[in-house]
Amino acid sequence: MNEEKDIENALHAYGERIRFKQRLQMMQASIDMDAMRQDADLYNSPAEASGQIRKLWHTYRTTLAVAASAAIITTFGSIFLYRSYLQGHKQQEQQYSLLSKEIQAVKTSQRRLLNDFNGRGRGLGINPAQVAGSGFLLTSDGYFITNNHIIREADSVYVQSGKGEVYKARIVYADQAHDLAVLQLCDDSAFRTLPPVPYSFDAKSSDLGERVYTLGYPREEIVYGEGYLSSGTGYRGDSTAYQVAISVNPGNSGGPLLDEKGNVIGIISGKQTTSEGVSFAVKTNYLFEALNSIPPDSLKGQPLRLNRKSTLASLPRKQQIKRMQDYVYQVKVFKHKE
Amino acid sequence: MKESRQPVLTDDELLLGLADGSDDALGQLYRRYFPMVLHFVTSNSGNEDDAKDIYQEALIVLYEKVRSGSLELHCQLKTYLYSIGRRLWLKQLAQRSRFVIRDVETPASDEMAIDQLNDDLIDHEERDRQFTLMADSLGRLGEPCRTLLDDFYIQHLSMQDITEKFGYTNADNAKTQKYKCLMRLKRLFFAEYKQ
Repeated sequence: MNEEKDIENALHAYGERIRFKQRLQMMQASIDMDAMRQDADLYNSPAEASGQIRKLWHTYRTTLAVAASAAIITTFGSIFLYRSYLQGHKQQEQQYSLLSKEIQAVKTSQRRLLNDFNGRGRGLGINPAQVAGSGFLLTSDGYFITNNHIIREADSVYVQSGKGEVYKARIVYADQAHDLAVLQLCDDSAFRTLPPVPYSFDAKSSDLGERVYTLGYPREEIVYGEGYLSSGTGYRGDSTAYQVAISVNPGNSGGPLLDEKGNVIGIISGKQTTSEGVSFAVKTNYLFEALNSIPPDSLKGQPLRLNRKSTLASLPRKQQIKRMQDYVYQVKVFKHKE
Repeated sequence: MKESRQPVLTDDELLLGLADGSDDALGQLYRRYFPMVLHFVTSNSGNEDDAKDIYQEALIVLYEKVRSGSLELHCQLKTYLYSIGRRLWLKQLAQRSRFVIRDVETPASDEMAIDQLNDDLIDHEERDRQFTLMADSLGRLGEPCRTLLDDFYIQHLSMQDITEKFGYTNADNAKTQKYKCLMRLKRLFFAEYKQ
């Protein structure tokens, strides 16, 4: 019986608390907060008499002055450092040059292609492409890899073999992050499937000092270059690329980087302009990543299989190059003029 | 302005009005000392919302003391509210591991007043515990008991209103239902509260 009274009392008290809280909320809603804030700011009580503040000011003003000047120096110092860092950053940015070449800048006095049997080359001869680079076949049925920066914003992309055959290419996939682009040549009926590619693709990371070579089109003619792997990371520690001591020029971009056994270990992507012989190549590993992220629709349902076994391994370098060069193409890109 | 036409009440009148449940008195009281607590909390790493919560809790302590007729003031009302608010805020700061505060007002300092403050705050904490438990028990009670008890004891609806709202055939039926609910709440509540 007693507990029954208790619980009722407790409930009544609880109700009273809740209702009072509601009234308080209403009061809070009805008061003029700005006036309250003003009153609070003006609030002066004996506990914080102004005399005390003045005394504190007198005692600590030298300390304050020192602290303030230190703060000013630090502030401007940091701003200065930050700005100079930014500028340095910009300079470094300029040091990296993408190796696609602006063909218009190159003299057109270069030897025209003579073996232009089917007349396809003539179009290119009359109307030189605006950007050119290199690229090579991934599979013998016409999948092709090059750099994204070459084909970026392209209106049309053509590839031209060392023998002067020209094919139109379709962009299957562009991986901007790793500067890779997958093209397909077999859209063009003129393209005939080649014998299987002789080189293989090796996703294992290669060791420093590995002798490497590349083939590419810095000119209208295929050019061979050789060097060695000088660092496991690329431009400014970019872990997706290698640094290679190899002499490359605009137009080499997109070319294959091969080791002695004929494994493709990377794709040439750029070089540092401030020092000679410092070039960069995207690791083959990221080529696989890019291939895996191609939507199946773009491949028309047929998976892309790369050659894993090099048939070049036991051949001397000269023979390797001879077998290779049919698979390395020049990429020509047309863009609409601004 | 509505407020300016009302006579300015003294502290004693405010307390009487508060005990009677007058909205005018509560409004005047609310506006009179809020700036003080606002200034105190905001100059001790709190924001306006903290200040509002602290002030409202201090007013709850005062209100419940006044309503139960057990308020003994050994200092000015202003000092009382300041000291209560100060203690409550100190407790919150301690939870945030800050122990130093800057006073904007002199807190109650003589022994009687401090004893009284301690007692009031202990009472308040005890009631807080009880009310949290009550809210919890009500929550676990389930429907329709929760709403029925809420309507009767908290919203103060009449038995007649409740009969209609819940669709009972007559008020007696509703009363029986309410009694059953109360008994269930009693079991739930005391099962925890006794411990």
